[in-house]
Amino acid sequence: MSNSQTPGSDSYSIEAEIPANTKTYSQGQLVFRRFVRHKGAMASLIVLLFITLTAITSIGVGPLPGWWDKDYTRATAVLDGGRPTIGFFSLGEHPFGQDTIGKDYFALVMRGTQISLLVAVTVGVLSTIIGTIIGAVAGYMRGWIESILMRLTDLVIVIPLLALAAVIAKAASDQGVFVLALVLAIVTWTGLARLVRGEVLSLREREFVAAARAVGTSPARIIFKHILPNTIGVIIVSATLSIASAILLETSLSYLGFGVQSPDVSLGLLISQYQNAFLTRPWLFWFPGIMILLIALSINFIGDGLRDAFDPRQNRSKD
Amino acid sequence: MTKYILRRLGASFLVLLGGSLLLYVLTINSDDPLKDLRESNADNREYLIQQRTEFMGLDQPWYVRYWDWLTGVSKCVTLNCDLGTNRNGVDVGSLLGNAASSTLRLVVLATVLAIVIGIVVGILTAIRQYSGFDYSVTFLAFLFFSLPVFWVAVLLKEFAGIQFNNWMQEPTFSPVQIIITALVLALILSAVLGGDWKRRAATAGVTLVFVASAMTYFSAVEWFRRPLLGFGFVAIVGIAAAVGSTTLFVGFKNRRVLYSTLATVAAGLVSYFAFRGVIEEPTWPVLIGLFIMSLVVGGLIGWFMGGYSRKPAAALSAFVGGTMALLTAADMAVSHWASFLSLKPRPISTIGSQTPNFSGGFWESLLDVGAQIILPTIVLTLISVASYTRYTRSSMLEVMNQDYIRTARSKGLSERVVIVKHGFRNALIPITTIVAFDFAGLIGGAVITEKVFGWKGMGELFETGLRTVDPNPVMAFFLVTGTAAILMNLLADLAYAALDPRIRR
Amino acid sequence: MTSPQSRVPVASEPVLEFDNLDVKFGTEFGTVHAVKGISIHVQPGEVLALVGESGSGKSVTSMTALGLLPSNARIGGDIHVIDNQVTSMDDRQLRRMRGNDVAMVFQEPMTALNPVLMIGKQLTESLELHDVAHGREADARAVELLRMVGIPEPERRVKQFPHELSGGQRQRVVIAMALACDPRVIIADEPTTALDVTVQAEILDLLRSLKEKLNTGILLITHNMGVVADMADRVAVMFKGNIVEEGTADEVLNRPQHEYTKRLLAAVPHLGRGPQQFGFAQKAVEPLRPGQSLALDVQNLVVEYQRVGKTPFRAVDDVSFSVAPGEIVGLVGESGSGKSTIARCSLGLIPAHSGTVNILGEDLHSIDRKTEKALRKRVGVVFQDPASSLNPRFPIGDCIAEPLVVHKVGNRASQLARVEELLDAVELPRNVINRYPHELSGGQRQRVSIARALVLDPEFLVADEPTSALDVSVQAQVLKMFLALQERYQFACIFVSHDLAVIDMLAHRVVVLESGAIVEQGTRQQVLGNPQQEYTKRLIAAAPVPEPGEQRRRREERYRLLAQLGDERTELKLN
Repeated sequence: MSNSQTPGSDSYSIEAEIPANTKTYSQGQLVFRRFVRHKGAMASLIVLLFITLTAITSIGVGPLPGWWDKDYTRATAVLDGGRPTIGFFSLGEHPFGQDTIGKDYFALVMRGTQISLLVAVTVGVLSTIIGTIIGAVAGYMRGWIESILMRLTDLVIVIPLLALAAVIAKAASDQGVFVLALVLAIVTWTGLARLVRGEVLSLREREFVAAARAVGTSPARIIFKHILPNTIGVIIVSATLSIASAILLETSLSYLGFGVQSPDVSLGLLISQYQNAFLTRPWLFWFPGIMILLIALSINFIGDGLRDAFDPRQNRSKD
Repeated sequence: MTKYILRRLGASFLVLLGGSLLLYVLTINSDDPLKDLRESNADNREYLIQQRTEFMGLDQPWYVRYWDWLTGVSKCVTLNCDLGTNRNGVDVGSLLGNAASSTLRLVVLATVLAIVIGIVVGILTAIRQYSGFDYSVTFLAFLFFSLPVFWVAVLLKEFAGIQFNNWMQEPTFSPVQIIITALVLALILSAVLGGDWKRRAATAGVTLVFVASAMTYFSAVEWFRRPLLGFGFVAIVGIAAAVGSTTLFVGFKNRRVLYSTLATVAAGLVSYFAFRGVIEEPTWPVLIGLFIMSLVVGGLIGWFMGGYSRKPAAALSAFVGGTMALLTAADMAVSHWASFLSLKPRPISTIGSQTPNFSGGFWESLLDVGAQIILPTIVLTLISVASYTRYTRSSMLEVMNQDYIRTARSKGLSERVVIVKHGFRNALIPITTIVAFDFAGLIGGAVITEKVFGWKGMGELFETGLRTVDPNPVMAFFLVTGTAAILMNLLADLAYAALDPRIRR
Repeated sequence: MTSPQSRVPVASEPVLEFDNLDVKFGTEFGTVHAVKGISIHVQPGEVLALVGESGSGKSVTSMTALGLLPSNARIGGDIHVIDNQVTSMDDRQLRRMRGNDVAMVFQEPMTALNPVLMIGKQLTESLELHDVAHGREADARAVELLRMVGIPEPERRVKQFPHELSGGQRQRVVIAMALACDPRVIIADEPTTALDVTVQAEILDLLRSLKEKLNTGILLITHNMGVVADMADRVAVMFKGNIVEEGTADEVLNRPQHEYTKRLLAAVPHLGRGPQQFGFAQKAVEPLRPGQSLALDVQNLVVEYQRVGKTPFRAVDDVSFSVAPGEIVGLVGESGSGKSTIARCSLGLIPAHSGTVNILGEDLHSIDRKTEKALRKRVGVVFQDPASSLNPRFPIGDCIAEPLVVHKVGNRASQLARVEELLDAVELPRNVINRYPHELSGGQRQRVSIARALVLDPEFLVADEPTSALDVSVQAQVLKMFLALQERYQFACIFVSHDLAVIDMLAHRVVVLESGAIVEQGTRQQVLGNPQQEYTKRLIAAAPVPEPGEQRRRREERYRLLAQLGDERTELKLN
């Protein structure tokens, strides 16, 4: 036999030749390309960036001042019954109107958006980390470690999410928003842990993992180098969606009075405070609600785009 | 199988026990239970503090208090529950009774509706993948996912509730309303039913004419103040159910099944008159008994007329029998709408699960409870219907790619049979597992919905309990929701086993 | 036309005819031209074998006959079933034709049946649909059909679900379903590919009696030349959407004209011809030097799988064999024989219930972690599935270098040099180093797996069905390369395979397994040339060879063997 012959070089081989100079794409690059092509997700990304940037730059963060000149804590004289002045091309004096005692509602909503986004993103990151580690360890280790971790998960699941969050949040109230975020993370990691465990269970049966074990690779290296990178799709999608549900959970808790505490502001708290003003000053109710809806909706669409990008099985063919 | 389920139940019980301990400890440490007294200026402050400390056992260590609660609950085994009292001394067990019934009524109704609507819409979107209909439903699903419960509840209260009541004063449609509604419905229906443009145009045209004329008629006779379904309606819908279910599940050609379902309709129409006197002012046991009877009669008709396809004939006839019973009851309820309106001119009041001290008869009270439950149910259903739709869609798409679907098509089966008989059952299997999860989530949503609509339900029990650092009401809430979640899990397991022969043992 | 196998009725009309068939698919990455204007036809009572490797368009061709292609397909040319033009039919006519005139037998019996419906239901469904029989009459006919295809206790089987049947029985059910409405032509798409070789022989017997007794025309789609030699009257060879050669089985298999057919046939390993057929002379294994230990020594190995709520399943039962340094031992058996379990257990991936496994003189299951790691450095492994044996997130270079990294051998530069050296050895271009597994074909990925297994210069290699997922021509290249590498590096090896012809090509010694126990072991010549045990004889008799004349002789021999063993031969049982 001739050893010099490269496979695929003769015209009757069914194996395609490996092109020498075309660009190669890693899975990450392919995912990125598919995501960019998802119109809904890209539009949502733009909306979300716009909201985030506006919320941060308008009233500023901490000591840094923003471009909006009114403060969310200071009340001024109520103009025109506090009606919103926003138009298509102008913001006016009080774009979102004023609340009952004359505070600028735009500044309040922006502050609420900041807090709600901050809480949601922190929850997303923390619960993803907790869920991924617990799920991966439970899935790979099996045996009693798995049993303990999964019973722990069941324990958290059996108490209704909102109730558990409310109880812990009440215990930790007056500790600031980061503690609130931590509390929410403690109750929301279970879904991802189950998901990751399922993925790991199926991945550990794959032959490349068996090959790695046969070579003598350590369990830590198998989990972190071989298994987890292959669950990245599930993790990222789930993290995105958990941010959306954290927004809704935080606002619900604040609405019940167990979340963000006054004098701090969150979107849920604003709705809770002004829901009875619906008939007299409906804008106090509309703006924070629409803000929550926009944020949650765009994050959900981004999550959908990511899911399509990571899992192209159900992708459309051009027809 | 039995062994498997028993083991699952045992494990769930232990989890429930662990959950109760966790929640108990968290609750009693969530705040200072004497806060309000410490801040009060009452003269007998010290006495009040001492009294409450003694009453609630605040001087006891946590494990003693938990143990007391647990021993009380464990008496439930002998049907003699002792859930303790709240801090004002009211027995929690008596509070729980009403609260649990109204909350579970709401949650169960919303779950059932969400499952049915979600699965049907999910299948339709899977069949019409990447159509305009699919995209619209996808968008709506995401919208519903993203809605803050309390916000949409307030909106519904203001717009749906109050506007509906206003409209009810003079229930007529303007020509513009008629045209717009008919157009929208025509577009939706033609998108759902699909086909080539000719078929779509025909569907749209027929719908347009039908809806427009129906609305004009109803508006002209002020039907919505004095509605009636009548014998003709019951007969037509009954026959449609018989023919439709036969066509869908065994094919129109199977005359045995067709005749037996039609015979059931006939029997139902006879009893429509025969039982009129009985159901004019019935009680719940009577109604339920009649419903079961119509199922049995339908089943028997199918069994004896079914011939070579006895089993499907019995099942479908029982279904048609049940439908007839429900139609008859609906006819009765609708005919009481006018007298209900005279008792309660604004039918939907946005506070409470029923009108206090309502004086109407059985059907009027039923309509009252029904009117009160509509809005909260819509809120809860909207939110969970979205996840069912998405889940059914992806499950169905997955199944429709399987080899056995190709086998079924290669036999020459029509697309309808392929979807209903081969696709749908397989697609249902993974859906059963999310029902259990979703149920627990819905209870959380119910807490907020109840608050917005002012229901004295479990949510209120929990919220007040937690606010006052009073463990017994909170634990009662957990007991019901936890048990319900475990029961739903059990049901899901059973459904799983019933649907998938591979895991039966 | 001297082949006695082709008893084609001369003047009859074809039951299935493709005329200038052309199929294109519109996809995300542009148009794929799957079938490029082919013309073939099937006569009643004739088997036309459509042969080709993956991507040849043979399955697409078959699906057009039923009008079952997805909506992004554009079909040109004419398709006739009996007298009807398929391309101009509407949905209703198509449905009436499916099952009634043309029926289909699919490749995967495990997934072709609906898992939640009873067997009987799935059979009566098409009977009722095409108005053949209804209700109880249809139930009786379903039982009759199952009896026809040789399923024992058909009355009980109709009430069972697919998962309660074995793969062979399920394929019989699929065939019974295809027969339900007496179709004039049956399209069998790789009907035996997923089955064990003895079951394959039975299913082929069944299909053969179908054409003889019912005069059904059969379009047999396959990649297996042995199956072609066993079944086909005429053969059409397909390559990348074109028919490159067509003729009687004798003409095509014995006197191929086209270059591709010649290459394809040359690539098929032929049972009984040994390593010489690919130009290798097998070197004898040197006897053990004093102090040298066996590469693998398995004594009284038992492996059990724990099952919830049931007694444990014994996958391997008291197995003892050994592998000398430089020796290739073939483990052969059908599915469920425990061959892969033994391979995985001897890698320490599955714990042994009892017995010992010594690798290179060390007991893998009792040594400490450090010795274990040192031992693993001397062992390599190649798995079956090219789709899952490489980490999709690693570029090829990292895949191959991974064992070097784990055992901290050399630095980055020396590792790269070693990777390049191995890429040369497995005949892959060096530019694949930066590519990802999904950019490579199955055969190329399997070469990467082999390179990874050899990167640490192992003394012992475990190869678990390394070529069974590959096409014939690719398999031949990989096997040749494997043999050349073994000659060069002299590693000991257990080679697991279900394919006797592959084992015949490369093993020094052969171990035959059945349901977890060893049936027979010995040198290749002993076991394959002169088998002593009944099971081995059946196995060898059932393996088809790609030459029609020889295969016919082997088939007669097999019938004699079956008669001798008191077994029935499979055929359609008509009343």
